[in-house]
Amino acid sequence: MARGEIELSKLTKQFADVTAVDAIDLHVPAGEFFSLLGPSGCGKTTTLRMIAGFEQPTSGEILLDGADVAYTPPHHRSVNTVFQNYALFPHLNVYDNIAFGLRRAKRPKNEIKERVGQALELVQLSGYERRKSSQLSGGQQQRVALARALVLNPAVLLLDEPLGALDAKLRKALQIELKSLQQEVGITFLYVTHDQEEALTMSDRLAVMNGGHIEQVGAPQDVYEDPETLFVADFLGVSNLMEARVVSTGTDACRVAVDGYELETRGTDRDVIGAAKIVIRPERIELEEHGAPSGPNRVPGMVERLVYVGSAVQVIVRAATGETLQALVQNKGGGGPGFEQGTPVQLHLPADALRVLPSGIGDEPSIKGKESDEDEAEEAEEETAAAT
Amino acid sequence: MTAVAEQRPSAGFSTAARLRGWLRNPWGKPRFLVVVTWAYIVWSIVPVLIAVQFSFNATRSRTVWDSFSTRWYWGDPVDSVWHDPTLRHALVQSFKLAGADVLIAVPLGVLLALGLARWRGRGSGVSNFIMLFPLVTPEIVMGVSLLLVFSELFTFIHTGTLAQILGHVTFSISFVVVIVRGRLFSIGRQYEEAAADLGASPFVALTRVLLPLLTPAIVASAAVVFAISADDFVISQWLSKGGETDTVPIRIYSATRAAPLPSVNAIATIMMVSTLIIVTLGFLTWRFFTRGERRAGKAAEDIGGAFNLT
Repeated sequence: MARGEIELSKLTKQFADVTAVDAIDLHVPAGEFFSLLGPSGCGKTTTLRMIAGFEQPTSGEILLDGADVAYTPPHHRSVNTVFQNYALFPHLNVYDNIAFGLRRAKRPKNEIKERVGQALELVQLSGYERRKSSQLSGGQQQRVALARALVLNPAVLLLDEPLGALDAKLRKALQIELKSLQQEVGITFLYVTHDQEEALTMSDRLAVMNGGHIEQVGAPQDVYEDPETLFVADFLGVSNLMEARVVSTGTDACRVAVDGYELETRGTDRDVIGAAKIVIRPERIELEEHGAPSGPNRVPGMVERLVYVGSAVQVIVRAATGETLQALVQNKGGGGPGFEQGTPVQLHLPADALRVLPSGIGDEPSIKGKESDEDEAEEAEEETAAAT
Repeated sequence: MTAVAEQRPSAGFSTAARLRGWLRNPWGKPRFLVVVTWAYIVWSIVPVLIAVQFSFNATRSRTVWDSFSTRWYWGDPVDSVWHDPTLRHALVQSFKLAGADVLIAVPLGVLLALGLARWRGRGSGVSNFIMLFPLVTPEIVMGVSLLLVFSELFTFIHTGTLAQILGHVTFSISFVVVIVRGRLFSIGRQYEEAAADLGASPFVALTRVLLPLLTPAIVASAAVVFAISADDFVISQWLSKGGETDTVPIRIYSATRAAPLPSVNAIATIMMVSTLIIVTLGFLTWRFFTRGERRAGKAAEDIGGAFNLT
């Protein structure tokens, strides 16, 4: 597939005095499942809307297969969108909804019929042609929206949190379905979401956005395992952060001092010396019994709290360095992790799971954005939407 | 016995206490409100029913009932609505004005609503507010100023049918704008964006998506405009040149000041029934077009409320 390559260059969007998207550069090769991940108001939806053509960029370029479409109106772009709330036309039935785009393209009648049939088959909704969208469940509406967009053979399919309105179980099922659908049709999917798990599950690559900037681009594994900024480390799952002082750096390994304990961490090619932060994922912390043979990268601690979450048990440990760390122990049955509140333990922080991040870069991750839906930029978006 | 023990405690109280309990029972129907509502309905509808009744009176009296007759509709060779040219002309004039008003004010109002709702930025707030002016301006002020406009400024427009139509359109357009804009806000931009996304030009998006979605509001506002235009007295009166351009309300007003006959009741009944039919048709059309939405249990009430304006 040669179609569907997206290149954004210095793309910027300002709403009144809010810069929703701040000079981002991004390259998405054809046929990739690419996600824009970030909290509300990070600019991901605005970016998508600029690619779709609903917003005009303040400056910058949007190259679609090499041609700048930044000033092409939406109805002349070979991209189609699956909207967050589907936006199925309520006055039309399923068939007419899906045929809408083909009719605008003035396709012959029998071709429309055939292609709508195929699209319905693709989303497993054959036989629903005469239903109105109000007679469909959320998941079915979502599939119709998908069929309506895919039937036009777009170069790029834009998806704006398409699973956001569905319940957790259906969402999981549709994640897998969407991914295999994308592999089947082979076109570029640009997927906007604030759900890190969704992005990690489905994407070939993803970009983590924050405050109108792209923090990191990479494969899910790289971004999760190798966060480059504190924001990324924090936004993609729970991270344990510790203040540290870098003793020596190297591309193979670094040595840091955390409150008297010297730890070895993964190497970095960054020039970090002095004050820094180290991060480790909860599932990488190994808990050992107190008194187990000591070794490198081991810190004593005390179990503060146990939280049962079903498939695992979160163990909150107060380390001797003063930090409170969260460890995740898989639930294998047999009466829990074997630790109780108040028992002393030994934390093993494997060197390849520890990562040094320079203090200052991406500091103060705006965790509040993760919860609140009323971040400034998003508000600005909504305002303009409401004003229309 | 348990049955006795479970009896309502109010059973033993005095009549007054029981009545209070009946009215105030927080778990029961809101009976006090129901009583007030019915009192209002009776109060407002009884005079109308009496007026309708006397339109069928066999004698010339509007107060003493004799027997049923259609004399004042068409039976009387001189004074019936059908045979009295002034009454007949008034009826024709009223329908003419109301019809023309609907045909002009509704399309214009829809365009205005679209423009106002899609207009972002400076001036949009002010013009949105100004659109409401005709709703709050006393009609008499509006009538006088319109007369001044036509007698001093646009002197090529003389009082009479044209001036009356312009007057009616001027004040009824606000109703259309308010109703249609409400619907536009509840629809939002998403359907237009979806249409554009699927390759529809702005014009096609308007005709294929937005207008069908606006149909209930358009029908509702047409019914409202017809009703208020047929109802109008002040503006019709100021801009009338007398004679054939007098409308039914004007005719009724002047007739009741002279020697009123039951034919006045008859013409009023005809006006009322035809307005009711138009509004009912509008309401049924609205129900028809929003049936899908109501099943989904969504909005739509905001438009249903429009019918309360009549």
